[in-house]
Amino acid sequence: MKLTIGKDQLMLGLQAVQNVVGSRTTMAILNNILLNARDGRLQVTGTDLDISVTCPVVAQISTPGAITLPARKFIGIVRELGSPEIELSLDEKKQCSIRSGSSFYKINGLAAEDYPPLPQFKEVRRVVIQQETLRAMLKKTAFAVSADESRFVLNGIFFSLKDHKATLVATDGRRLALTDGEAEIPTESQGDFIVPTKAINELTRLLQGTGSLELNFSENQVAFTLKGENGFDTVITSKLVDGSYPNYRQVIPAEPLERVAIPREEFLAALKRAEIMTSDKSNSVKLAFGRNQLTITANTPEVGEGQETLAINYKGKEMAIAFNPTYLMDPLKAVETEEVYFELIDELSPGVLKINEPFLYVIMPMRMS
Amino acid sequence: MLAPSCQPRGARLRERTFHGFLFRKFDAWLPRLCSLSRVILHLDMDAFYASVEQRDRPELRGRPVIVGSPPTQRGVVCAASYEARRFGVRSAMPSITASRLCPEGMFVSPRIDAYRAESHEVMAIVRELAGGRIQQMSVDEAYIEVTSGGPCDSSPDERLIGALPLARKLKAEILTRRHLSASVGVAPNKLLAKLASDYQKPDGLTVIRESEKVAFLRPLEVQSLHGVGHVTAENLRRAGIRTVGDLQDYSGDLRPFVGSWAAELKRFAMGEDHRPLELGDDVKSISSETTFLRDTDDRTILRQCLREAAAEITGKLARRRLAAHTVLVKVRYGNFTTLTRQFSMEEPITEAGVLFRLGCWLLGREHLVHRPLRLLGLGASSLVEDRLRQMELPLRLKGGEPQRQRHSQSLPNDPYSKS
Repeated sequence: MKLTIGKDQLMLGLQAVQNVVGSRTTMAILNNILLNARDGRLQVTGTDLDISVTCPVVAQISTPGAITLPARKFIGIVRELGSPEIELSLDEKKQCSIRSGSSFYKINGLAAEDYPPLPQFKEVRRVVIQQETLRAMLKKTAFAVSADESRFVLNGIFFSLKDHKATLVATDGRRLALTDGEAEIPTESQGDFIVPTKAINELTRLLQGTGSLELNFSENQVAFTLKGENGFDTVITSKLVDGSYPNYRQVIPAEPLERVAIPREEFLAALKRAEIMTSDKSNSVKLAFGRNQLTITANTPEVGEGQETLAINYKGKEMAIAFNPTYLMDPLKAVETEEVYFELIDELSPGVLKINEPFLYVIMPMRMS
Repeated sequence: MLAPSCQPRGARLRERTFHGFLFRKFDAWLPRLCSLSRVILHLDMDAFYASVEQRDRPELRGRPVIVGSPPTQRGVVCAASYEARRFGVRSAMPSITASRLCPEGMFVSPRIDAYRAESHEVMAIVRELAGGRIQQMSVDEAYIEVTSGGPCDSSPDERLIGALPLARKLKAEILTRRHLSASVGVAPNKLLAKLASDYQKPDGLTVIRESEKVAFLRPLEVQSLHGVGHVTAENLRRAGIRTVGDLQDYSGDLRPFVGSWAAELKRFAMGEDHRPLELGDDVKSISSETTFLRDTDDRTILRQCLREAAAEITGKLARRRLAAHTVLVKVRYGNFTTLTRQFSMEEPITEAGVLFRLGCWLLGREHLVHRPLRLLGLGASSLVEDRLRQMELPLRLKGGEPQRQRHSQSLPNDPYSKS
């Protein structure tokens, strides 16, 4: 293997894979990244066996070839190199030479053949969605994913692909976020699955482009192919969460009693301030809906208290309902509309937050014990 | 602010000597820190369970009494009378070992309710005589902070001596009214008071004066200090530190041996302890454990055991209006290897079902039941007030969790595995 590559290009590839390498110590080669040089490109691959990321970048290849190099050292050196051009060459002892300007380094590699093969899909279902659409959908749901490992089916986002519509759902058992977006879904590619949190994080990080995205899935894995120019596609492959997602439809309240429009930014700012007056022990704010007025209060005996008043158009019955302020602020930060609509039934029933776009958020109140 | 004459001079000088400039900065605060002229009593009932038995059953008096499971059964010693202790019998020792050490031992089954009731009576006497600043540590042990140890300008030593009449009165009243003996330690802080009460047991009364505390601690083994267990003691031994005196003299950095605890350990070695009394009935954790008659890995039994423990614990939580952020399980195998594993949650829990589910899940995740268990325990800690409770969405998470499902195939009757 012998090639010349721009530092920017190489860093692009390395940054794409860096989060999935080096987290396991049981297999030394998993601390390495795989470099594969051919056809005018250098393909950079990293895996932790659960998630794999492959990112091709432009390079001038003199001799095709492949090698794996220790990720931390290699990334460390490349990042610090002072010259914009880098030359990589491999010798028969699997040592990779790095030349750039006046710098010269040699790193010991491990054989590319020993690198775990990327997952193969036997039966493939294929769906196409715009990268921007998916990015927006992830933003509206990812914050509600559960971190409680004892309920691991909730440790990811549920994807449901049906009728030209992709629906994403996340819940931690106390609030639930749901959104949907347009997608090309052939009838034979309908289905649903749970993508684990780490894959969601990597996907969100890499979803910066404007092109389309191809989604392939089978019984236990999923691949997101981010279409780039000239076939330079970044691919994220992940195992799926092994379990069935709970029936989330049944927790969405059917008939609200009251519906009120609240200016989003004002609501968020008031909650941010009120939250300061809460504590770990008493993490709640009370929302009191009165005639044309919403009063938010935070009262923590050992800290103090705060009160915020918002003018709203409300004619319904008076109601005071307590929520965890974080659970209220998360969706307000994730959406961009001017107004949100809050639907309520009573103090002990779930509240629902909606906007004038496909988005729905169910939040359970807190009650006095 | 108190008058300058009120400052505990001796203590201040020592602080300066041993802690250098660090403490000098706080000199301005010292007059306000009552901790430096405190008087703490530690009351410890002598062989409490065994003494109650000997009091209630005259035929046991003067005999080696061992409260605990009979040696024919599995189980451990809960308490031993002083007569039995002479044979080397100690609490938490397997009953079978105790009977080997002390063949004459009279084994008595524990009557926990009776001890608890007795404890109530004793603590009532303490409260009556010593006022409200009491931290009860267990059924037979309490710290008492004496607030009126003499005039404000008396020296720390004078204040300690001034508390002796109260200490004598406590012992005398408990003996007269309850026919039980207690040992009392009088010292400037909790660390020393506990060491003092233990110094001349039974029926002891020991004062550790501010002026002699460093010398008192010198010959003791490091393990006498609060918080130093086998592991820390072993780590210190590697540094050549065996006695508290070695610790006092050690000029190097202790952090390689005891981590972030180094500073406090050094203070303990100097007899300095600023820990306040925890008043009220603050509970740190609630747990329940069962020792099986026969080691078992029968999932039905273990499950039943966890379910009962969960109900007991959540009952106690509810009575105290508490919720728990952390769940822990404890297992002990036939060879007495004991393991605990814990799991913390963002939202505190209060319900027996959830506690039970997490207990089962922890056992499964950590593969703790790979051989029969001698003991199984469940506990809840990181307790918070259960003022406002986050409600849960009525999601049905059932067969959807393969780990739990796999677990429940061999463990029937799991409410969480039914659809």
